[in-house]
Amino acid sequence: MSLLDEQVSVPRRTMTLFFLIDTSGSMEGNKIGAVNDAVANVLPMLDEISAENPDAEIKVAALEFSSGVNWLYSEPKLASDFVWQDVKAGGLTSLGAACAELSTKLSRSGYMQSASGSFAPAIILLSDGGPTDDYESGLNKLKGNNWFKAAIKIAIAIGDDADKDVLKQFAGNSEAVFTVHNIDALKQIIRVVAVTSSQIGSKSSTAGDTTKQDQVVEEVKDAVENIQGAEAATAVDSSSYDDDWD
Amino acid sequence: MAELKKGDKVSLTSGGYVTIEKELGRGGQGIVYLVDLNGEKKALKWYLNAPDDKFYKNLEHNIMSGAPSAAFLWPEYLTRKEKGSYGYVMKLRPQNYFEFGNFLLAKKSFRSYSAMLAAAMKICNGFMMLHRCGYSYQDLNDGNFFIDPTTGDVLICDNDNVMPQGEKSGIMGKARYMAPEIVAGGVPDKYSDRFSLSVILFMLFYANHPFEGAKVVACPCMTETFEKKFYGTEAIFIYDPADKSNLPVRGIHQNVIRRWPAFPAKLRETFIQEFSQDKLKNPNTRMIESLWEKLIAGIRDTLVRCPHCGEETFIEESSKCMDCGKDIDSTHRLKIGTRSVILTKGTKVYIDNDNIPDAEVVAHPNDPSKLLLKNLSNSNWTAETPSGKIKVVEPNNMMPVNPGIKITFSNTHKGEFIQETNN
Repeated sequence: MSLLDEQVSVPRRTMTLFFLIDTSGSMEGNKIGAVNDAVANVLPMLDEISAENPDAEIKVAALEFSSGVNWLYSEPKLASDFVWQDVKAGGLTSLGAACAELSTKLSRSGYMQSASGSFAPAIILLSDGGPTDDYESGLNKLKGNNWFKAAIKIAIAIGDDADKDVLKQFAGNSEAVFTVHNIDALKQIIRVVAVTSSQIGSKSSTAGDTTKQDQVVEEVKDAVENIQGAEAATAVDSSSYDDDWD
Repeated sequence: MAELKKGDKVSLTSGGYVTIEKELGRGGQGIVYLVDLNGEKKALKWYLNAPDDKFYKNLEHNIMSGAPSAAFLWPEYLTRKEKGSYGYVMKLRPQNYFEFGNFLLAKKSFRSYSAMLAAAMKICNGFMMLHRCGYSYQDLNDGNFFIDPTTGDVLICDNDNVMPQGEKSGIMGKARYMAPEIVAGGVPDKYSDRFSLSVILFMLFYANHPFEGAKVVACPCMTETFEKKFYGTEAIFIYDPADKSNLPVRGIHQNVIRRWPAFPAKLRETFIQEFSQDKLKNPNTRMIESLWEKLIAGIRDTLVRCPHCGEETFIEESSKCMDCGKDIDSTHRLKIGTRSVILTKGTKVYIDNDNIPDAEVVAHPNDPSKLLLKNLSNSNWTAETPSGKIKVVEPNNMMPVNPGIKITFSNTHKGEFIQETNN
């Protein structure tokens, strides 16, 4: 009996969900308001997914970038411990700096130090414009990061002024870039992408499935059909992964 | 995407309709709703994206054939294709059953070893019956079971991928539960079911994953490529005697480290066999469900109540209680074929595999040093004494546990009391 009473939870790998949020001046008003509202509302859902999930523990990290970059917490947090502080818009779009900063934290000495290991993270980039800094050097650095290579990467383009080409470079292919045209669609897609990315590791796969990113993209595409003002890209291409982790 | 709302009516192929009351939960494939069917509450699984016609026909066929055993929350009615999709109706899960995942997360735990063994027995029996009907389950994982922590009773859900053995449902299974040959791209069948079954049983007993040890923990980032390696081509059992590179890690795999040495040797030996490299690579050599049942019955025969502290304990060569450490007299036995059931005061005896105790050992009211066996079943036992007298033991009556008495239980199983000498 005592052995049964002493049972502890199975060890779970951590899956960190990163939000990279453009807080440049152009996001001011409804857009930033919608982002704040959507993320605050999705946290309890992520908490529930994590609490019921014997495969993975879900943690959340958020990086805002405008003229500079800023992590909302200095480490990934359980959704239940993550108190969302509304981010404010103002300044430029330092996407390159954000990529470089993310790359630093995507390491065992950075944010990926869970004792029982991690799953590849999921990274959601939200932007409504184009980078104003030298994004290429930051992005190239990030693209060389093995955690990033294996990650589920989804970009959400807010409105038509978003530089979709840059977002495509970030997410690896144009299919992983979703465009939203109104505030309601923005809120819905944040929820769908965050929830889908968090659940994907505990689902049964079907024959012909390729990567987790492809599975997330497929599910989000299905969902987008029912969201007024959201659209998926039509072009088809598939990202390739390199698993050189030695 | 075709969600339903409260009050929606969905018609059934058998006639009539169900009315949506509320959402109970959602998963990858669809949503489960609480529905009303002619005043009776049922569950409707509704697919968000309607699977193809072959899937629909298979469901129809499975509904016609009926459940392989009472353990299955089997599809009972099929809906017509309408409102952009379709679904099937099944029984509701009772309140006292919890997802196996809750046991893994230590939110729920078995109240007794008897309950744990009952759950294992019920799961094995369910898959034995399923395979006997010619099906394979295809997607066996931790999400398919609801268990009552007190009794160990099990309900098996998500039966919509059940296909005739050899046919593809298109599902591959869930990472960490898929057989190595499926991870490598094979088609799920009853042999891969048996692999997943052994993983589930291991996790049920030891509350850790059989392939997750030092080697897997050392991998910082579990990518899809590593998943294929650690659960497929390079899977190594954590207690593989031939390869100690993947032993459980103190502080991380606490449950299995505590339980592995404490639980019966027969269980250890079986898992070492079933997760050996040889069996991983040769699916058709994996243990069949009836042998799992036999193993579990054999282990249950060694589970007794300690007469000193009253806790449950397994008795092996050493007859000391796992809990209080005191010696237990394990010499009184009931032989049933090759089985040797240990009889101590307070121990329940399971003659068959239905998880319902058939007898209980009680102390003689006038002489506590003597044991009696009480008939808990609904039918008479016939006993033959060493001198040849025939006695009938009716339900709720008792008989002395005396060496040499032969018993026929409910006209089926034959047993005999023996007393082993202390070694």
